[in-house]
Amino acid sequence: MRWFGFGFNAFAQICVQEKSNKEDSSSAAGEVKVNVPIELKNHVGRSKIRASWSRRASLFLDEEKSVRLAGFYASISNESFSPVMVDTRGCRDAIISETHLTLAFPDRIECWDLQSKKKVPSWSMEILTQSQNSDVNLPLVPGGYISSKTPIFHSLSSHLQAKSLALGGEHAILLTAAGAVYTWGQGSHGELGHGGLIPEEEPRTVEALWGMSMRSVAAGGWHSVCVGDGGDLYVWGWNESGQLGLPSRGLRKASQQKSEPQAGELCGSVSTCLGEERHEEVYISIQAFPALVDVSPSCEIRTVSCGSRHTAAVTTTGCLYTWGWGEYGQLGHQTTTSLDEPKCVEFFRNESLHVVDVVCGPWNTFTAAVKKEVLAT
Amino acid sequence: MAFLWSKISATLPPNEEQFLLQFSEKVALSVVEMLKWARLQLYGKTTRASRILNAQIILDYSWERLNTGTWRHVDKEWRRVYSYGCLFKAAALCRENPSEEEIQQAIRTCDMGLLMGAAIMGNILQVIVCILQSEIRKLAEEEDNHENIEAKKRKIASPHVGLIKEELAVPRIKCPSLESFNANHLLPLKPVILEGIIDHWPALNKHPWSAEYLRSVAGCRTVPVEVGSRYTDEDWSQTLLTVNEFIDKYILNKVQVSENGHKAVGYLAQHQLFDQIPELKEDIRIPDYCCLGEGDEDDITVNAWFGPKGTVSPLHQDPQQNFLAQVVGSKYIRLYSPEDTEKLYPHESQLLHNTSQVEVENPDAERFPEFVKAPYLECVLQPGDVLFIPVKHWHYVRSLEVSFSVSFWWS
Repeated sequence: MRWFGFGFNAFAQICVQEKSNKEDSSSAAGEVKVNVPIELKNHVGRSKIRASWSRRASLFLDEEKSVRLAGFYASISNESFSPVMVDTRGCRDAIISETHLTLAFPDRIECWDLQSKKKVPSWSMEILTQSQNSDVNLPLVPGGYISSKTPIFHSLSSHLQAKSLALGGEHAILLTAAGAVYTWGQGSHGELGHGGLIPEEEPRTVEALWGMSMRSVAAGGWHSVCVGDGGDLYVWGWNESGQLGLPSRGLRKASQQKSEPQAGELCGSVSTCLGEERHEEVYISIQAFPALVDVSPSCEIRTVSCGSRHTAAVTTTGCLYTWGWGEYGQLGHQTTTSLDEPKCVEFFRNESLHVVDVVCGPWNTFTAAVKKEVLAT
Repeated sequence: MAFLWSKISATLPPNEEQFLLQFSEKVALSVVEMLKWARLQLYGKTTRASRILNAQIILDYSWERLNTGTWRHVDKEWRRVYSYGCLFKAAALCRENPSEEEIQQAIRTCDMGLLMGAAIMGNILQVIVCILQSEIRKLAEEEDNHENIEAKKRKIASPHVGLIKEELAVPRIKCPSLESFNANHLLPLKPVILEGIIDHWPALNKHPWSAEYLRSVAGCRTVPVEVGSRYTDEDWSQTLLTVNEFIDKYILNKVQVSENGHKAVGYLAQHQLFDQIPELKEDIRIPDYCCLGEGDEDDITVNAWFGPKGTVSPLHQDPQQNFLAQVVGSKYIRLYSPEDTEKLYPHESQLLHNTSQVEVENPDAERFPEFVKAPYLECVLQPGDVLFIPVKHWHYVRSLEVSFSVSFWWS
C-alpha cells in the first residue's frame, strides 16, 4: 500500500522539498501548496495516517507498531517536549490535534500535550478487561470519547452502542452498531442535521436518516457527511466553500470575477450539463437537513473524510473524488480552485492506481492506493 | 511610491526584536511559529508572493477560529491573531511600488482587521489605513483635474410626507436648556424632537454629507451592509462592501440588480462608522444633553444609518437612551411606550425578544388584535432634527428618501 498527500504543506508535513535557494531563510519549508498528489516517503507496509493543521502522524501497523510525526517541530529530536521522544511502540491507533497526540495501546490510552515539556501524558486511562479482538477506534474509548480540548474525556451512554465517532470543529457525529446516526454540539451552521441551527448538549438521533443503515460518518469544521450501506452519500452543514458538493454562491461569484482557465481539464467527467439549471440561482449556504449528493452517476462510496472545508470520497471502484475549499491544493486537481461539485482526482486514474482509503487533515488530504494489477491478482 | 512604504514602515517597530508577538496558550505554538515567520519576512528579504502567502495562512487559520462557536465566545486572542494577519498582508501589498489597485486592496485588508479583529500595537491598522487613504486621495485628485467635472448635484424631490395626525405628533422644541430637557423629557421618559441642536455640525453646513462627499472621505473603505427589507425577513443577510460600491449599488442604483424581479434594499445600519473613519467623526458632535446621563462620554455608542428610500427597522426597543440625529433625508418614525409592550407581541425567541412581530404599517389584526389598541406617537424626522427616544421605548423607522442618520446610545 502506498500513501499520497496533497494540500497544505507549510510545515513540510507532506514532503520536504530540496531548497534551491538557501538564502531565503524566511520562507516556510518547502512548497506551501502541494496541488497534485505526492507519494509519502518511507511509507511501506500497512499504515494509518492522521493529520492536524501543522502535523502528520503516521502509524505503522506492521512489526514495530509505532507512530512517527512529520511537520511542525517533528524534526527537532533534542527538544524535550518533542513528541518523537514519546515511546509509541505497541500503539494500535492514534489521533492528533494541534495540541494533543492521543495513542491507543492494548492496555491503555495515553493523551500527550504536545505543547508541554512534561514527560508524562496529560491524561491516560487503563483498559482493563478489553479482549485483544475488540478494536480500538479513536476518538472512542471505553465508556466515552476523548477530545483535544479539556476536559479530555467525555462519557457516552453505553445504550448508544457507538461503533465510530467523528469530531468536527465544534460538533460530533456518532455511528451506532445498528447503523443509526447521532449528532450533538454547536449547530449554528446546520452541522447537526436536525433542521435547526441550535446547539444540542446530548446526542440526538438524525431523524431524517431514520430507517436507513449507515456505514460510516465523517465531520469537517462545519459540515457532516455519512455513507449509507448502499454506498449513497449524505451531506449537511455549511456550504461556504462548496464542501457539501451543492451550488455555493460564494464560489460562483468568485469564478465570475476570475474566470481563469482551469488547468488539468484532462477529461470531461465533470457534469457540465448542469450549467443550464444553475442559471436559476438555487444556491445552498446552509443545509440543515441531510441531502443526498450524487458523486457521479451510479457510483458507490466506500469511505469518506472531511477537512475543515473540503470533502474527499473514495468509490468502490477505486476512484477518489474531492470538492470544497481548494486554496491550498487540498483537492489535488492541479489547481487551487475551490469546487462545489465532486470531481475525480485524475492523478490516480492516470497512474493506474486504485484508491482504497482517504484521510483529510484540516487543509490537506492523504490517500492510500494500490496498483491496479496488484488488485487483479 | 517607495515613499509610501517608508511612511508605513515608520509606523512599525524599528526592528524584529521590538516587534513583540505574545499570545496566551489558547494560540497553538504552530500558529505562533507562522506569525514569527511572517515577522521575519517583514524585516528580512524574501519575495512579495511569499510574504502575502504567509499572511494569508494566518488570516485563513484565524478566520476559521473566528467562525467557530458563537461570536461573543470567540477568544479575543484569535481576533488579535487575525489583526496581525491583516497587518502582515497590508504591509506586503504596499511594498515595492504598489499599484492603485493594490493600495485599495491593502485598505480593504486593514478594514477587515478593524471590523473583525482586535486592536493591536496601538491600533496600528487605523494608523496605516489613514496613510493609505491619503495616498489614494492624492491619486484621485490628480485624475480629477483632468476629467470628472460632471459632479452631478442630485436634486432630491421633496418626500411625500404622509399625514401626521396633530394629536399623535411627537412634540417639538427648539434648543431647550439642559434643566428643562431633564425635567420635562428625560426624567419622565417622554419622547421629543429637539430642533436646532445640530445646526453647527459640519455634516450639515461646512461639508454636507452628499454621496460625493462620502465617496471622497470614505469611498474605498469596507463597511458592513444589511441586504433585505428588514432584519426579521427570511432572506435578510449581511455583506461587506466598500462605501463606493454601496453608493453605486444601493444609493444611486447604478447597478441594476433585479433578482427575481424585485430589487434588494441595502442598508449601512447600526455600524460604528465613526470609530472606523475618524474623519467623519469630525463632522458630528456628541449632543450636550448626553451629559445628563450617568455614563462616561466614552461609553456612548455612536452608530451610522445610511440607506436609500424604503429601509425599514421593524418595531423594536433598545436598552439605552437614544438621540437619533437626522443628517440627510427624512424618516417616518412611530413610537410606543414600554407600558404597552404586551400589545406589541414581541417575538418569543431569545434572539428577537426585543422585536415586535407586528408589521406596523400593515398589521395583521387577526393575529395581533391588541396592537391597534396601543397608543402611539409619530413623526417625520427632517434634516437637523434630533429625536429623543427614551430607554426601552419601542420604535419603528422607515426612510422616505435617501437618508443618513446618526444615533447616540447613552445612559
